[in-house]
Amino acid sequence: MSTGRVGSSAPVDARERLAAARTALVRAVVGDRLGLAVFLGTLLAVGATWRVGVFINDNYTLANALVALVDGTLVVDEAAYGSLESPGMQVYDGRLYGRNYGQVALAVPLLWALRAATAVADPGLVFAAAWSLLLLAFAVQVGRLTGREPLCATAGAGLALAVFAANAALAEPIPARLVPLAALQLGTVLATAVVATTVYRLLTRLHDRRVGVAAAVVSVLATPVVFWAAIPKRHVTVTALLVSVVYAFYRSRSASDDADGRDAVLTSTGFRALAYALVGLCTWVHAGEAFVVFVALVAVDLPTAPSNDRRTIAVVGAAFAASLVPFFVTNALISGDPIRPPRMLSEFAVSTDRGAFGGAGGGGGGGPGGATSGGSAPLLPAPVRVVVATAAERAGLLFGPFVAGAKSAVADPESLYRTFVRAGYDGYIGQRDNDQAINLSVLESAPVLAGVAALVATGGRRATAAVRRPDDSALSDRSRRAVRALRTSQTGATDAFVALVAVLFTLVYLPRLPLFAQVTVRYLLPVYVLAVYALARQSWARRVLVGHGRAALWSYLGGVLLGAQLIFVVVTVGSFGRGGAFQLHAVVGLAVAAAFAASAVGSAVDARVDSVTAVTGGLAAALGTNLALLSAFAYFRYGPHVLPAADWLADLLASA
Amino acid sequence: MDRGRALVYATAAVIVGVTVLSGPAIGLVDLTTPRYDMSGLGEGNVTVDEVELPPSVAIDRGYQSQSYYLTVPDARIRIAAIDGKPTVAYGIDIPALGYSRSTTHFLSDGDTGWASLSLREDTLPDDAVDTGRYDGTLSLVVRDSDGKTVLANRTVPVEVSE
Repeated sequence: MSTGRVGSSAPVDARERLAAARTALVRAVVGDRLGLAVFLGTLLAVGATWRVGVFINDNYTLANALVALVDGTLVVDEAAYGSLESPGMQVYDGRLYGRNYGQVALAVPLLWALRAATAVADPGLVFAAAWSLLLLAFAVQVGRLTGREPLCATAGAGLALAVFAANAALAEPIPARLVPLAALQLGTVLATAVVATTVYRLLTRLHDRRVGVAAAVVSVLATPVVFWAAIPKRHVTVTALLVSVVYAFYRSRSASDDADGRDAVLTSTGFRALAYALVGLCTWVHAGEAFVVFVALVAVDLPTAPSNDRRTIAVVGAAFAASLVPFFVTNALISGDPIRPPRMLSEFAVSTDRGAFGGAGGGGGGGPGGATSGGSAPLLPAPVRVVVATAAERAGLLFGPFVAGAKSAVADPESLYRTFVRAGYDGYIGQRDNDQAINLSVLESAPVLAGVAALVATGGRRATAAVRRPDDSALSDRSRRAVRALRTSQTGATDAFVALVAVLFTLVYLPRLPLFAQVTVRYLLPVYVLAVYALARQSWARRVLVGHGRAALWSYLGGVLLGAQLIFVVVTVGSFGRGGAFQLHAVVGLAVAAAFAASAVGSAVDARVDSVTAVTGGLAAALGTNLALLSAFAYFRYGPHVLPAADWLADLLASA
Repeated sequence: MDRGRALVYATAAVIVGVTVLSGPAIGLVDLTTPRYDMSGLGEGNVTVDEVELPPSVAIDRGYQSQSYYLTVPDARIRIAAIDGKPTVAYGIDIPALGYSRSTTHFLSDGDTGWASLSLREDTLPDDAVDTGRYDGTLSLVVRDSDGKTVLANRTVPVEVSE
């Protein structure tokens, strides 16, 4: 910027270069202007609900690891927050280490930025200022998109100033010692915005911008993603990486035909390499989950790739190997074994009875080359998870979780039902959650996923059509044709990858679910977003969106603005308590989910049901949002909101 | 530069300007003051001339869950005079359950007249409650410069409803 004043020709040059760099950055990170608006909008939504504080006590582990890492060491010596005896704190050779180092490392530059900002600005006001600036930027982008620049600029400026003034008037100090925790949270908040933007980019390329924006909003705001957005755990980070892998995978099949006719940023091989590199980075966050993604990616990518020649494989392999370097280096520095991530060391504070929100523990389904916690992790003492040597055993351990998951799905349908449909109250879980029934099922947390039920109808329809069609060819011919179709169709391969990764991810965690301290089955957070993808890929859903988009939007807005108030009044007047409130959300959510599922099946068969589907779909999405909204403002209180006005609102609701 | 753009830049400048001017480096004004100044808490004097305690307390089965919720209705006090920042703690004891809980309320200058004091509801495990009725003790304890004073202490029935 300072070069702008040097000479007469230099400023033009510098400005052009700056503009070019900005355009390139926007294209690479958010795709286009609408993607930027989705990104900013998500940050605004999450920012409004963000509390700086510890929600669940393994947040301490990551926060203390970040404080240590920023001081230049992996060894966690002292507890900057809470206690070192938090779940997930690992011990090796008498020294303590954190885990999820990829996520912690991402927070390091964010912490530097926050420390720089809080050097000149009050921590109590810096987030409020940033939020208002984001609002301003959002208004400008919306103005450009709608062609009403002056109106949006004026409204945005007025609103940004008003909100800032309100926040400044209500501001309370935020202790400087919370800044590292806030940096860790900022990492997941940004990851949430990446989830929204990437879903938008993916579905815009697959279909159109309307579908892209709707899918982005639903995937973040109507699912528990927004609930976990500012809670520094691995789930949102892994979700962002996984969605990016799906996007890169799709582009690796279609990179040549860029939608805007511009040259793609990467070639199709480049995108293929990117997909693997993102999986490699994921190992740094959670090796077990990364392995699941890796298995699905290899299984779908290799048979469907346009070419598997030596050069392509070399490029992809090199990118993958390079992306694993941070993971290997971190592990080597800790235990000397590059393929032994911190989660496979022994836990420092092992307690058999971890209380609610004292027990966010639970690792992943094992990592490459390592023992896995397989079936009943909470019951197994940590030393059981010791590295086992032989290759055969390793293979068994690597694929064991999938087999165990499949077995448990068959052997224990009740757990399956309680994980996906109705969780209810469970004595064992309740004991560990302060006797509160606050663990919801997948459907109770995100009723909008009920729309996936229509897949049964579309599948059945296709099956009957196939049976009725006179077809002399043998089954093997037909299946061979199906494989060929998958190979030539870029969307088919992407659908297959999404389906496989969702199934494998679910299988790995199935033996352990239902589990306490999940709130919204958080282990399956990435699967929620993949399910929204499945929803958006169905033609009836897109037809409803095109034909009855307005009805869906108004049902959603009404469901949030009125529904949230209604639920709050019922909960407050009826003295429901937190557990009762969650169960109210669950029961209402299931009722709406059932209605949405029924009308979605109807829409899949007959377009005349579409208007009903739009309304039930909007309401189902709204109930997902309401849970997160009321959790942020009423049900959970654990530290100051980044926006003082949000704190004021939460205080007001608490006194009601 | 058109008007809309000028407005946007001006707004951004005001927001950044105020934030930096009130920041630790310059510190022209301090905008982040605690909403409640905690200093001198529990000091001062208060005269309460009337106390209303609820006649009973309820333990209800939670909605769609096995656990129980303990709900204590608000107590009310009439403050005749107040000086400084005394506190008043509203508590409940249920000896048969080994249960005790209280919520401390901060009073401040000018809070004369009737004031409502709440006690936050709590969850009890399924197996803790075994009879339909317990005895509980509600108490209001003022803390001021004279130390602790018990304003009220009354035994009330705790009604369990399934």
